[in-house]
Amino acid sequence: MKWRYLKQQIFFGLVRASALIVTLALGGIIFYIAYNGIGAISWDFITKPPTDSMTKGGIMPAILGTIYLTVGAIAIGLPLGIASAIYLTEYAKQGRIIRFLKVGINCLAGVPSVVFGLFGLGFFVIFLKFGSSILSGSLTLGFLILPTIIGASEEALKSVPQTFREASLSLGVSKWQTTYRIVLPNALPGILTGSILGIGRAAGETAPIMFTAAAYFTTKLPGSVFDEVMALPYHIYVLATAGTNIEATRPIQFGTVLVLVAVVLGIDLVAIVVRSYMRRNKRW
Amino acid sequence: MNRQTKEIIIKYIFFLFALVSVIVLGLIVFSLFREGLPIFGKVSVKDFIFGMEWYPTYDPPSFGIFPLIVGSLIVTLLATVIAVPLGVMAAIYIAEIAPQAIKEILKSVIELLAGLPSVVLGFFGMVIVAPWLQDTFDLPTGLNIVNASVILALMAIPTISSISEDALYAVPREYKEASYALGATKFETIVQVILPAAMSGISTAVMLGMARAIGETMVVLMVAGGAAAIPESLFDSVRPMPASIAAEMGEAPFRSGHYQALFAIGIVLFFLTLFFNLFADYVSHKFRQIGSGTL
Amino acid sequence: METNTIIKLKDVNFYYGQSRALTDISMTFGKNKVTALIGPSGCGKSTLLRLLNRMNDLIDGTRVEGEILFEDKNIYAPDIDPVEIRRKIGMVFQKPNPFPKTIYNNIAYGPKLTGVKAGDLDALVEQSLKQSVLWDEVKDILNKSAMNLSGGQQQRLCIARALAMKPDILLMDEPTSALDPISTAKIEELIEELKKHYTIIIVTHNMQQAARISDETAFFYIGNLVEYNKTEKIFTKPDVKQTEDYITGRFG
Repeated sequence: MKWRYLKQQIFFGLVRASALIVTLALGGIIFYIAYNGIGAISWDFITKPPTDSMTKGGIMPAILGTIYLTVGAIAIGLPLGIASAIYLTEYAKQGRIIRFLKVGINCLAGVPSVVFGLFGLGFFVIFLKFGSSILSGSLTLGFLILPTIIGASEEALKSVPQTFREASLSLGVSKWQTTYRIVLPNALPGILTGSILGIGRAAGETAPIMFTAAAYFTTKLPGSVFDEVMALPYHIYVLATAGTNIEATRPIQFGTVLVLVAVVLGIDLVAIVVRSYMRRNKRW
Repeated sequence: MNRQTKEIIIKYIFFLFALVSVIVLGLIVFSLFREGLPIFGKVSVKDFIFGMEWYPTYDPPSFGIFPLIVGSLIVTLLATVIAVPLGVMAAIYIAEIAPQAIKEILKSVIELLAGLPSVVLGFFGMVIVAPWLQDTFDLPTGLNIVNASVILALMAIPTISSISEDALYAVPREYKEASYALGATKFETIVQVILPAAMSGISTAVMLGMARAIGETMVVLMVAGGAAAIPESLFDSVRPMPASIAAEMGEAPFRSGHYQALFAIGIVLFFLTLFFNLFADYVSHKFRQIGSGTL
Repeated sequence: METNTIIKLKDVNFYYGQSRALTDISMTFGKNKVTALIGPSGCGKSTLLRLLNRMNDLIDGTRVEGEILFEDKNIYAPDIDPVEIRRKIGMVFQKPNPFPKTIYNNIAYGPKLTGVKAGDLDALVEQSLKQSVLWDEVKDILNKSAMNLSGGQQQRLCIARALAMKPDILLMDEPTSALDPISTAKIEELIEELKKHYTIIIVTHNMQQAARISDETAFFYIGNLVEYNKTEKIFTKPDVKQTEDYITGRFG
């Protein structure tokens, strides 16, 4: 009898330890980056471009580039993702078509980021002749986050009670108007918070923009969507592996990493908090 | 135009939007093939996949990617060995044991871990883990299989954990109650009732986690060391496929053999992950947890 | 009764996938009458009600055979737009289901989308709320969320919402089953009032309610129409033994 409970104690200990290791790993990484990076952060660091072959100065062009690319990715991924999810939840009947589309979406979600980079290079940069540009990078990132946004939107649309749809349809309001006026507005907060997690991913990805949008170094800010930009993730990679003086620029590297982590996790954290608040205050 | 026609048109417009994902998948294949297939005029498929020498810039070049494939597989396997127990046990903790407040926090932790950009993890592996490994084990370099696998495991844990957790939640409560009613302990219930019932979901989780690890780029690019040779020990450097593509694409002349070979590696990588995903999808549908059928 | 028929069913069969939920139903509904559909759970009465405004279209894998004539036209004919049907045949559901909008916008929602001019909306909202005897309770809080109303008020709001579309027929699917006795009494009074202008078809589990408010009563059992007659007749001297057993509470 005792042995049964001892086994249970050992097992629970292991399970708790696993949870603890995962938490400590995240906490450790964040603490370490914050501890080493905070010294580099200053107003100038955020608002000035790099100088002296990127060994001094700030990271403003990279911040700006990441913002452009992320906004571009949202502009492409969000409408497409919401529209796909509307088809899947509101229009499609259960059966082969849904199954086919879902397998396609799952497979797209599983495509490695570097393959997305090759796709962006082969299709947008070369085949459509957009060149290495904000446009190519945004399109690549937009399709990269599409499955995440579809998933989030589907979940949010499904959580709108069926009775709302019935009430609207029973009044003689058409399917499309019901979807547009009743279902979508009630699903929108859920769609947005869910999508933010995808948006954070777009901001942090490196491989998909390496060959499609990111510049090693450029002093001029982009004038159109056909210009290359610097981007935070790629800037980190460049400074850490190919900079002119890797050891000497460590503080700048940590500072850049801290900025990226703060931006991405900040976005995610807002989504998580808003979501749990919404769940608690749900009216239906 | 009457309303019914309009409604039907709207439906088809949404259908077209829903098709975009599949179309993109097709365009990915199209682009990879268009840029990558010409390499097989210069080297046979067999020599490409099983060739032991990757010297794409030599004259004459040699395009054997077997060392890269081995590099990918070995870091993926080792990462899986590390990530599966941690991820599944963390999921068990969240789904079955943790008090409500800790559960919420831990779920957020895992979500945030999933949100950490890969370049940040790569940087961490490079700047922190590598010097530590090098000093502790007295190695020529800390950028090696072990380092890359540990960091990759961190990236796979959120995938494995969150999907396993869903699978555990989906186990009907009656199973647990039946087990408790027979006098089983919580541990016995988890191991003998809940885990078997959730097994298909957990298998899916493991496969998707592996797919994530095999395709992950920045970590292996920055941390695996980059040696395109078959490793002899876990502390050797390797050059997994994604790392090769990312590191070399910038220098490969446009539509040269090297450039085409990198796209061809992309083809291999694409179909390898596609296989993992389709298999995961098959398992999750074939052995869907329905009622008592899975016990 | 024939002269004042508004809906006529001819040999209607209804299937969910393979299983038949209604068998050879032929019946007529009188204009400006209250008709009650009664019977044990699963007898098909709600299914029948939802057939009348094509709400069953929303469920995948269903199939209708036979004809349902509304104003002499088969509402299941291929050229009929179900949206048009639902404008003339409104519905009130078992659980009050207001939209998470203001009281005003709940009522104005349908008319606005079907082309009622913005200038006429205020009057229409007021008229509908007065018809459903809710106006006095909500006239000062029209811009508050409908979700704050009590269950009974919400149900009267849903009735007002349906009335704002000026339907010919009002279908009610156990409209009081989720309400307390006082709210139920209010809704029953309201139905009494509404039948002067509307045809009402109501599904109910509550025998007393059917007896109190309806003119005609139809008793269903496992997808069959067992007996259909004047309410007094059904509740005093039913022709069929099964009906008598049900209304006297011997089964169901």
